[in-house]
Amino acid sequence: MLKKVGVVAVLAALCSVVVATTAWGSAKPRTLAAATGSVKCGKKVTIGVAYPETGPAATLGAPQWDWANFAKSTWNKSHKLKIAFVRGDTQLAGNNPQAVQVAHAFASNGKILAVTGPAGSQEMEDTASVWKGASIAPVSGSETRVALTRALPGTPRETTPGYFFRTVPNDGQQGDNVATFIHNVLKKKNVRIIDDEEAYSQGLSLQVKQDLQAAGATVTTDHISQQNPDYNSVITAIPHNTQLVYIPWQVPAMAQQFYSQLRANGDKQIVMGSDGTDDPSTFKGAGSYVSGFPVDTSASALKSFQKAHNGDPETFGLPTYTSVMVNANAINNACKAGHGKTTRNAVRKAVAKVKLSKSLSLLGFPVQFLKGNAGKFQGPGDMGGAAAFGIYQIQKNGAYTRVG
Amino acid sequence: MHHLVLFNIIDQIRSLGWPGAFSLLRNGLVLGSLYALIALGYTMVYGILKLLNFAHGDIYMVGAFIGYGVLVAFGGALSPTIPIVPLIILMFAVSMAGSGFLGVAIERVAYRPLRTAPRIAPLISALGVAFFLESSVQLLTNSAHYLYNGYQLGGKNGNFGPLLNPVFTVDGIPVTVVQTLVILTAVALMGVLVYLVYRTKFGKAMRAVAFDREAAAMMGIDTDRIISMTFFIGSVLAGAAGVMYGLYLGDTYFFLGFLFGLKAFTAAVVGGIGSIPGAMLGGILIGLAESFSTGYVGGQWSELVVFGLLIGFLIVRPTGLLGSHAIQKV
Repeated sequence: MLKKVGVVAVLAALCSVVVATTAWGSAKPRTLAAATGSVKCGKKVTIGVAYPETGPAATLGAPQWDWANFAKSTWNKSHKLKIAFVRGDTQLAGNNPQAVQVAHAFASNGKILAVTGPAGSQEMEDTASVWKGASIAPVSGSETRVALTRALPGTPRETTPGYFFRTVPNDGQQGDNVATFIHNVLKKKNVRIIDDEEAYSQGLSLQVKQDLQAAGATVTTDHISQQNPDYNSVITAIPHNTQLVYIPWQVPAMAQQFYSQLRANGDKQIVMGSDGTDDPSTFKGAGSYVSGFPVDTSASALKSFQKAHNGDPETFGLPTYTSVMVNANAINNACKAGHGKTTRNAVRKAVAKVKLSKSLSLLGFPVQFLKGNAGKFQGPGDMGGAAAFGIYQIQKNGAYTRVG
Repeated sequence: MHHLVLFNIIDQIRSLGWPGAFSLLRNGLVLGSLYALIALGYTMVYGILKLLNFAHGDIYMVGAFIGYGVLVAFGGALSPTIPIVPLIILMFAVSMAGSGFLGVAIERVAYRPLRTAPRIAPLISALGVAFFLESSVQLLTNSAHYLYNGYQLGGKNGNFGPLLNPVFTVDGIPVTVVQTLVILTAVALMGVLVYLVYRTKFGKAMRAVAFDREAAAMMGIDTDRIISMTFFIGSVLAGAAGVMYGLYLGDTYFFLGFLFGLKAFTAAVVGGIGSIPGAMLGGILIGLAESFSTGYVGGQWSELVVFGLLIGFLIVRPTGLLGSHAIQKV
């Protein structure tokens, strides 16, 4: 009898411990309200990095993660307030529920003060309300859809001003530059545009197509799957009078392979890629063109990065470096203003005020966000000033020479 | 709307003319040869174990990486340290052997312990192995794309090499060395496989195991060995396809096996899963369907056409072109 009572007593004690522990655990700041409250800055602050770590788009996520880490080590070397990352795998490529899941996880994590990413425009559209509810303004290094920052006729703005920023010029800016260069400088009137069926590619394609058609050029279009490496039949289908083929793709290796297959088929058209194909270590098609950031290749930071990554500049990920720098500066400023304490809302407001010099942004121009509309395509959250794409021609030795 | 699409197709057929049609035929045959080689692995394993080995596409991907590794070990395409013929032979040999042993290892670790389990168990295990291989390669390669640059192999100063020399031309459209190499190697390997399966003692044992594993075991056939060898041969063919892919199309990365594997699986189903000649026919058919739909209708239609064929065959002729109804003991 005594033995039975003892067992019951032990079980009751265990139950009490479990109940008490659970109650204590749930009292910790796990709710969204608590997560948006005041945070002690201490010695280390946390930034969430949302990018495609796995899945078919992991190829695009890898340079973003590499550049984010490079920004972290660069920042931590020279600042008392260190930054740390929590990463979230959004998977991209049509898996927006995963992005929503990451957004909720970041939103309820009280340590996260700012977010770099996500990677895809569609992901931002689907998660905008989550970020807003959590008082977070993501700073993306690769979301280029115009509507994320600017309302256009028939297309309302997809985010609330002050709740989204990007360190990459948008499709409207890039598309305009490219179309102007093709029409006015290269003077090509027959253009083939081949998109890779992804949101980035389709947005740019549409912009360039509209601009070229408005200028009187004849534009034909085709599509390839990002997972299909055989372009021979797509090349066969290119009209004979085509002078230039525009490929706004995200994987430089695909651009190089397209160029090789085009030449192997005996076709002589000029190939022009977008910033997604801007990678001198991979896309080396002599005589081709790419649009890209006017990066200062002599910058010591860029050289250090290349040295650490087998000579590959992984240019697609570079704006993610800038994004981390924007967030780190914003948190630093907010912590100073709050005397060692801050909130997500304070950080969000500080992001809007961040100014990065040309040498700190690595983009080839200083970074400062617009507060109102500017030009034909830019809106609040876009970079203002000299934010623009350059046009580069690929030389026989593979070097990129700026021509526009 | 439908009329507009139809007019566009007719317009495209007219504008490409006979040279375009031959070009698409050539592209389809080359691509189809690759699908056929991979489809053989699916069909052989299904024939003997009734297992859909979804990891097979990833074995092909690993084969492409092994071939790339050999190419780089001997200086790469732009500056090879040995003549290109022995280099290509070496790439094939190492990749085929490596893929073959990988196939055997997968069978031993992931499928054999589940031999007596319900059929859903090895199927799930196959999916697990596929993700395991993809993720492992992703981690090892940091998700990067690696280019064979096969067109430059043997060329000087980065110019195109002999693999792009025309073997013959039709209406001004060249059929290059690399395209001929892909088709002839595929035909030769399929020929060897057919001989092995239908003309040797091993092949007879293989067919016996496929027909009735228990009875074959009672007749003294080492069924485990035959099954291992089947995985080996199927994976060897996938390894060869990986190198051919690398030399012809070149862009090698961790997710490569997914879509290629699915299309090869479609080829196996269309040809009649379990049938070796069916897999070859299915591969060629899928390659041609993809090529002609891309050329005449548009690149965005190619996958719709390929997987539409899969659905169509499953509804209208589930046994595929050369498959036969299995008589089941009840």
